This record gives sequence, structure tokens and C-alpha cells, in this order.
Amino acid sequence: MQTSEATPVPPSLDEKKKEVRRPIWVKLRPVYPFIVILAIWQVAAMQAQGNQGRLFPTVDAIVFRAWELVTDPLFRALAENPNLGILDQVWKLFESPILLHTLNTAWRLPFSFFIAAIVGTIVGILMGRFAFWESFFVPLLSVLLPIPAIAWTPIVVIWSGIGDQTVIVITAFASFLPIAMAVWTGVKTVNPVWIRAAQSMNADKMTIFRTVVLPGSLPMILSGLRIGLARAWRAGVGAEAFAGIRWGLSAGIFDAQEYLDIAFMMVALSVLGLFGFVLEKVLFQPIESRTVIRWGMMEAMGAQDKKV
Amino acid sequence: MVTKISIQNLRKVYDTPERRVHALEGVNLNIEDGEFICLVGLSGCGKTTLLNMLAGFVEITAGTITMDGKTLTQDYDKGVVFQEYALFPWRTARQNVEYGLEIRNFPEKERREMAFEFLRLVRLEEFADFFPHNLSGGMRQRVAVARAMAFDPQILLMDEPFGALDAQTREELQELTVDVWQKTKKTILYVTHNLSEAVYLGNRIVVFVPNPGRIREIVRVDLPRPRDDLAPEFIKLQKHVNDLIRDF
Repeated sequence: MQTSEATPVPPSLDEKKKEVRRPIWVKLRPVYPFIVILAIWQVAAMQAQGNQGRLFPTVDAIVFRAWELVTDPLFRALAENPNLGILDQVWKLFESPILLHTLNTAWRLPFSFFIAAIVGTIVGILMGRFAFWESFFVPLLSVLLPIPAIAWTPIVVIWSGIGDQTVIVITAFASFLPIAMAVWTGVKTVNPVWIRAAQSMNADKMTIFRTVVLPGSLPMILSGLRIGLARAWRAGVGAEAFAGIRWGLSAGIFDAQEYLDIAFMMVALSVLGLFGFVLEKVLFQPIESRTVIRWGMMEAMGAQDKKV
Repeated sequence: MVTKISIQNLRKVYDTPERRVHALEGVNLNIEDGEFICLVGLSGCGKTTLLNMLAGFVEITAGTITMDGKTLTQDYDKGVVFQEYALFPWRTARQNVEYGLEIRNFPEKERREMAFEFLRLVRLEEFADFFPHNLSGGMRQRVAVARAMAFDPQILLMDEPFGALDAQTREELQELTVDVWQKTKKTILYVTHNLSEAVYLGNRIVVFVPNPGRIREIVRVDLPRPRDDLAPEFIKLQKHVNDLIRDF
């Protein structure tokens, strides 16, 4: 009998797909909208006079303010003592308010998300595996999920006071709910034929869970974590402002409102946006491209190839 | 020949909200060691139910199944090849084949060698490190056959394994299946509704009819291998089975 299925040349795995060379202006396409927005902003701000000018600082003024925010403590210290050691200089940088705000947000948020990811995954697995815990948690989560986590802030402040702990509780809680739901769904909807295949090879329940259910529900778990991170981000930033703490990007923004420091607000907002973007790129994209995308499981879920 | 599996007065009844379904009634069948048995019939005739009972997926209502004289237990070694693509997407071809060996606690080195051996059997050793989604449908089912055979099961159960493939790939895999069967001398139960496939593969063809699901006749195929599906005797036999399925 003839070999009908064109048995392909065993392609070497090292051989990477030829990268299509694209001109620089195509590569930079994602940047264009920002340039347009900034240009419009700049033109509009330049029309503003007097008090209005304070409310609409020009782009260069904002950039200058950002520079000032970062370097102000350093330059002031240098003015007092020109022979400042290099380590002290670096240390002075960390006294700049914008960096302090950023660092505070930067540890609280991933920390809260990490707690939520662990607790959410455990609860989701319990729900997916045991009918009792499913009937216990589903009504609870269904009621809690629609409540914006930020609305809990006053209660949590009264119970746990003003401080990091309040922000962490609210952030983790907001993030926990969608993670638990997604893990539950993922565990419940693993392709039954994989489970039957494992059963047919006499795998016991625990082994099936470890070797089939967990990897099989990874696409759902990852998308749950992604939603969880987004919710953590929103809730955390809101809670910072309302919990009345001193350090944190949005706490800083609300402070700046008092002084009509628009430039500071714009700088802090940019950092927030950039931060979320980097977190997504650093955290999720590498994991996904090494697992579910490599295994072709996103296509199976109906996701389209993104053309960005 | 030695009787491998003996099925006596097997019955399967289950209740749906509307009515009681007699999936199987009074099924008697003796399967010899190393035999290639094809189960054919219209949908709803119980052929897949019988296979699922042997696989341990479905409980027996009444009757007995014995293997080597002993009542069948849940955890005997059987290899199952499904119609759907049932490979684990997160494991490479080789890791998929190793799965059953992992369950049986084979040491890693041995596992690896055995996996390669069975990938060679289905002529895919060069694709050992490919993930299933980079393999064609036919190649995936070949890996599935290797996976089902690697831990040396007592019998191989195949449920329309090539049903989703195009005609040419299907022919190629039928030929491969015969080759694997001749090399390993496994007892194979093969469910199909493709009669040409049944005549091409089986030593015997068990013809099922529905309502209630039961055996109409067992047809012996004595054609020499490799079989020619255009030979007059082949076509005659195929027509005979076709008549058995449709007129009752």
C-alpha cells in the first residue's frame, strides 16, 4: 500500500521559524496612537492660558515634572554637600516621592495577588473535586462576585485600621473570587476523554488529578489568574486611595489633587499603566507561551492567533 | 487455541428518563488468545457498550465476563484506543507513550527505551519529541496505538479508532494495525461500522443488531493476508455482512 499521508520530513526542533523582517515603522505601529494622543494634548495645552494652563500642563512640562520628581531629593542633597558618595546618591533617589509611591504599590500588589492565587486555586480545586465544597462555595461566590471589592473598604478600615494590611485584604479578596471561579470551571470541564484514557491505563484518582486534571485545566487556570490580576490591580489601586494610607501611587494621585498638581497625577497614572502592562508581559506571556500555547491548547479553546 | 475471554449471557440495561434501554441481551462470545475480532452493526446495536464493559467504563447488568478463566476485574491491563484524539496535549509523543509505564512504576530509562520501541512499531520514532498538536490526525492515532500497547496489555480495545480520518490515511493505518497485530500477537477487539474495514482486519466479525442489542451472527474471515479489498471473495463477504446488518 502506498504511503498516502505525506509523511513530512522530520523537521528539526531547533530550527526556528524564519523571522519575517519588518521595517521599523511597522514594528513601531503600537506606539502611534500614543504619539497622536500626546500631540493633541500638547497642541490643546499650548492654547490654555493662565489658570487653565495650570490645569493642562504641556507634555514637556509633565516630562520635566517627572524628572524633577525623581531627582529632586538628590539634587537638593548635592546642593548641600557636593561631595556626596555614590551610594548615598543612589539612596537619595529612593527618597523621591514618586519612587516611594511606586515601590509601595509594587510590593503590595504582587503580594496580595500571590495570596489570592494560592487560596483561589485551593478553593477552586476543592469545588471542582468535591460536591460538598462545590455546593458550599458556589452560592457564596455568586453573591460576592458582583460586589465591587472597593465597597468593602470602609468596613475593612474599621476592622483592621489604616495601613498596608487593609489594602492587602481588599486586593487579595477582589482577586481571589474570579480565580476560584475559573479554577473550579477549569477542573470541571477537563476533556473527559483524557480522563478515560488515563483510567483505561489504570491510573488511580490522585494520579489522574495530578497528571491529567491539573495540566488539562491549565488554560482556564491561567485565564483565571489573568482576570484575578486585573481585578487585583483595580481594587488595590482604589483601596490605596480610600484606605487613607500615605504611600502608594493612587494615594499619591489623590494627594496631588489637593495641590492641583496635574503633572504629578499624569506621571503617576503613566507609571500605573506601564506597571500593569509590564506585569502582564513578564508574568503571563512567558508562562503561556511555554505551556498552553506550545501545547496547542489555546487554539483548541477557540482562541485566534493574535496579529499584533 | 486457548480461550482468552469468555462472555456469557451478558446483558446491559439502563434507564433513560423516557424508557428502559436494552443495550445488550444474551450475548455469548468466546475470544481466543491472539485473535483479531471486529464488532460491527448499526448505531445503537450495543457494540460500543460491549467494548466499554471490557474497558471497565460501563457496569455489567447481568452475565459474566471471564479472562483466562477468572472473572474480569477493573484493573486488569487493557489498552484502549479511542475514536476521539485522546492524547495528552501537554506531553510529547514519547511522554504520551510512557504514561502507562509511569503508572506501573517503570524506571525512567526503561520507560524511555520502551516508548521508543513502540513508536518505532508505529513508524514514528522520528517524531518522539513532537507535541500532539504538531502531528497530523493519522499520526496522533498511531501514537495512541503505541500508548495503548506500550505496557503490554492483555488485550487491545479499539473503538472506531480511524473513524475521523480521511479514507487514504485510514487505509494506511489499517495496514499498520495488521502489521502491529502480527508482530505483537495481541488479542484485539475492534469496533467499526465500516464493513470493508472489518473484513480487511478481522479473523472473525461479530455482527450485532439492535432492539435489543444482540449478536446476529459471527462471520469467520479466512482470506489470506494481506487482503485485497477488490478481490471477489472479499466483496462477497462484505456483502454478506451488509445483508446481515440490514435485514433482520
